[in-house]
Amino acid sequence: MSNESDPKPVSRLLSGLVAVALFVVLAVVFVRASFGDPTGFPADAHVTASLGYALFNVAGASVPGEGFLAAFEIIDLVLVGALVGAVMLARRETGGALVGALGSDQRSERSEPATATDGGEN
Amino acid sequence: MVPANYYLVLSAAVFSIGVFGIMTRRNALMFLMSVELLLNAANLNFVTFSLQYGNTTGQVFSLFVVALAAAEVAVGIGIVLVLYRNFGDIDVDKAMTMRW
Repeated sequence: MSNESDPKPVSRLLSGLVAVALFVVLAVVFVRASFGDPTGFPADAHVTASLGYALFNVAGASVPGEGFLAAFEIIDLVLVGALVGAVMLARRETGGALVGALGSDQRSERSEPATATDGGEN
Repeated sequence: MVPANYYLVLSAAVFSIGVFGIMTRRNALMFLMSVELLLNAANLNFVTFSLQYGNTTGQVFSLFVVALAAAEVAVGIGIVLVLYRNFGDIDVDKAMTMRW
């Protein structure tokens, strides 16, 4: 397995300096900015219910907001695509040989013919 | 009520920690965790300004960011699996060759 020790501690120190510098720049900007008093939500508002109404473009939310029905449907497709892609990357073949996206793994090949459960076409 | 500036400074800290992790870690799983930190820093900003303006749009959008992060991690874990099968390690520095 990989060891987490960096061969060059200087580069790690440099990375730390870059990250700290980024934080300092952002923090200076954020502290000096003025946004006024937060509006907040009314005490009798149902925030969670309003989130549900906004997700599905349903009227009746007690807190104002935009509708996100189209984005909700699109992200459905994105999630399905990502999960199918993950399964495609991670699948094993029935013969016992590992098959990845970058070619088959020859180390665990079996000598006897495998019993395929899907009719044995491949 | 807490001013928005404090939330933004917290978000900047989380983002900087994520950037530091991406630059120093060599384990691919640590990479994925650092990307999660970046995405959640953005989520923190969304929710902060949702409260600032009294509007639910930021919170709904942060839900979408969470869903996208789940998709990204699913594909990322698949890539880590393929990386381990082809190189015997999940050290991202060892996978220098994009051939097989």
